[in-house]
Amino acid sequence: MNIIRGSSRILGDEVSTDIHCSSKYLPGKDTAYIATVAFEQVAPGFARAFAKGDIIVAGRNFGINSSREQAVHVMHRLGVAAIIAPSFGRQFYRNAINNGMPVVECDTAGIAAGDAVELDLAGGRISVPARNIARTVPPLPAAVQALLSAGGLIPFLQKHPDWNLGELAA
Amino acid sequence: MGHTIAEKILGHHAGGRPACAGEIVIADVDFAMIHDARAGNALKMIDKLGARSLPFVRRTALVLDHYSPPPNMEAANTHVEMRAFAEKHGAPLYDVGDGICHQVLPEGGHLTCGDLVVGTDTHSTTYGAFNAFGTGVEGTDVSAVMMTGKLWFRVPETIHVELNGPLQPGVWAKDVTLTMLGKLGAEGANYQALEYTGSGVAAMAIDDRMTLSNHAAELGAKAALLEADAKTLAWLKAHGAAAPKPVKADADAVYAQRIVIDTAKLAPQVARQHHIDDIAAVPDVAGQKIQVALIGTCTNGRLDDIRQAAAILKGRKLAKGVRMIVTPASRAIYLAAMREGLFEVLTEAGASVEAAGCGTCVNITGHYISGDGQVVISSANRNFKGRLGNPKSEIWIGSAATVAASALTGVITDARTVAGGDWRAAA
Ligand code: SF4
Repeated sequence: MNIIRGSSRILGDEVSTDIHCSSKYLPGKDTAYIATVAFEQVAPGFARAFAKGDIIVAGRNFGINSSREQAVHVMHRLGVAAIIAPSFGRQFYRNAINNGMPVVECDTAGIAAGDAVELDLAGGRISVPARNIARTVPPLPAAVQALLSAGGLIPFLQKHPDWNLGELAA
Repeated sequence: MGHTIAEKILGHHAGGRPACAGEIVIADVDFAMIHDARAGNALKMIDKLGARSLPFVRRTALVLDHYSPPPNMEAANTHVEMRAFAEKHGAPLYDVGDGICHQVLPEGGHLTCGDLVVGTDTHSTTYGAFNAFGTGVEGTDVSAVMMTGKLWFRVPETIHVELNGPLQPGVWAKDVTLTMLGKLGAEGANYQALEYTGSGVAAMAIDDRMTLSNHAAELGAKAALLEADAKTLAWLKAHGAAAPKPVKADADAVYAQRIVIDTAKLAPQVARQHHIDDIAAVPDVAGQKIQVALIGTCTNGRLDDIRQAAAILKGRKLAKGVRMIVTPASRAIYLAAMREGLFEVLTEAGASVEAAGCGTCVNITGHYISGDGQVVISSANRNFKGRLGNPKSEIWIGSAATVAASALTGVITDARTVAGGDWRAAA
C-alpha cells in the first residue's frame, strides 16, 4: 500500500465535501446515488468520468468546514486511490484516515488532469514523471500508516483492541 | 521548553508527560458526545461490530438537537433508535427540546477543567471555555471511544491570542471572533489550537466565553482554550461538574503565532453575505436592509444573548416587514428566560420563540427561513449560500445585540446607537 500510482483528477480550492460529496443537503439520498453526482457542481462530469484507481488532486482546504464521513464512503465507492492537496479541512483529513483513505498534504502546482501520479507514503515522495515533478513531503506518521494499512480505525481496533502498536503508542 | 494548554491536556491523557505539537498520541477520553445528525452512522457501525460490551458508553451522551423537532420521518426514526440505544446501554440521553449538544454537556456537569472531550460536531471546541480540550470528531471516532475509551490525536500547534481590555457595552465575544476571521480568514487556524488570554477574556461572562471557544470552529481550530478563573470554577461547581484540574500554559510555551487584539476599542462587526470571513465594522455597513432576524444556535443562543435582545426590544416593536425568531440553546436557558419575563418582552415586540435546539441554524433542521432576495441577519456561525435552504437569499452574521438592534430598525444597526444596546450582565 506504500506506493500508489494513478491518474490525476483535478478539483479546485475550498471544496466542501458536505455540499459536494454527501447527502447532508440531499436528505434521503444514499451513498450510491451521491457517488453518481459527486462534485458535479464544481467539476461537471467528475463522477461519470472517474475510473477506479484515479487520484484526486485537489486545491487548498479540501473538505473545508464540517465534513461528514460519508464523503469518504462515497470516494471509496468511486474508487479513489488517494487524495493529494496543499491543505485539507481538519475533520475531512481525520475522516479520511479513519476510513482508510490515503491523504497527502503537498504542493500540487503543475499537476494537470490525467497526469500519471506516483505517491510513496512511507518514503514521503510524490512524482509526476511526465512533468518532471518530484517533490518530497513529510512521510505519514507511523500511526497514520498503521491505520491506513489496516483499512481504517475500526478494522485497526478489531485487530488491536488495546491500541497497542509499538511506535503508535509511544 | 515549555508547553501550551493543548500539549499539556493531551499529554496528561496519553501517559503523563506533556506532548509536543505534531506528535500523534493515543489519549484517554473523559467524555464523548454524539448528536442526531451523526448518530445513524455510528450506531450502525457498532451494530455491525456486534460490540457487546461498550465499557465507555456511560460517558457518551446522545443528544437529539439538530432534528428538534424532527423535520421528516427518517429523523424521527433516528430518534427512536437513539432512545433505544441509550436505554439499552445506559448512555445519558438529551431528548428533543433539551437543547444543543454544546450547551447541554457543560450544563449537565459532564466536563471540567483539564478534561479531554470529543463530540461529533465541529463546534465541540466550545468546551475550551471551561479549560477542557474539546474537539470535533466523527461517528467512527465516537464508536472507538465507546469501545476502548481512547482515541488518536495529532497534537496541534497553538496560536496565542491576547485580548487587551474589556469590551465596550454593545460589543461581544462574537465581534472578537469576527475580527479574528477578518485577520486569519476562514480555516485560518486549520489544525491548530487557539489560546485566548488577557483582560478582555477575564472581563467576559461565561456565556460570552463560550461564544469565543465555540466560534473558533469557523477559524478551522481544533480547540480553543481559555484558562480557568474564579468565574469558571464557580460556574462548573454550580452545574455539578467533577473536581476541576485547571491547566495553564508555561511562560516559555512555544506558539505558532501571537496575535494581540485591542478589544477595548473594538466596534461591533458583521460577516457579509455568503462568506464568514468577509468582515465589516457595523458602522461601515449601517443602513443595509434586513427582513429576517435570528437569535439562537450554539454560538449565540444563550441567556445573555436573549437578555441583550430583550433589553433592546423592551416596550418597542420590530420594524415593519421584519420577522424575528429566537431559539434558546437549551431547556435551562428557555426556562430562565421565561422566568425573567424575556419572552413576554420579545413576543410583544413581534418576535416568535421556538423550542430549544439547533432551530434556525441550518436548513437540515427543516426550517425554511427566507424567500428569494431576502436578507437575514443571524447570530449563528455560518452564512454560506444556501445554509438556510434558499441560495437566493443572503445571510449576514452578527452578535445578538446587532441582530436585535437591526430587527428594531429594519437595517443593520450598531447596538451602541439604540437604547438598551449597552446592556451587560453585572459581573
Ligand atoms: S446550532 Fe448550528 S452549528 Fe451549532 S450544533 Fe446546531 S446545527 Fe451545528
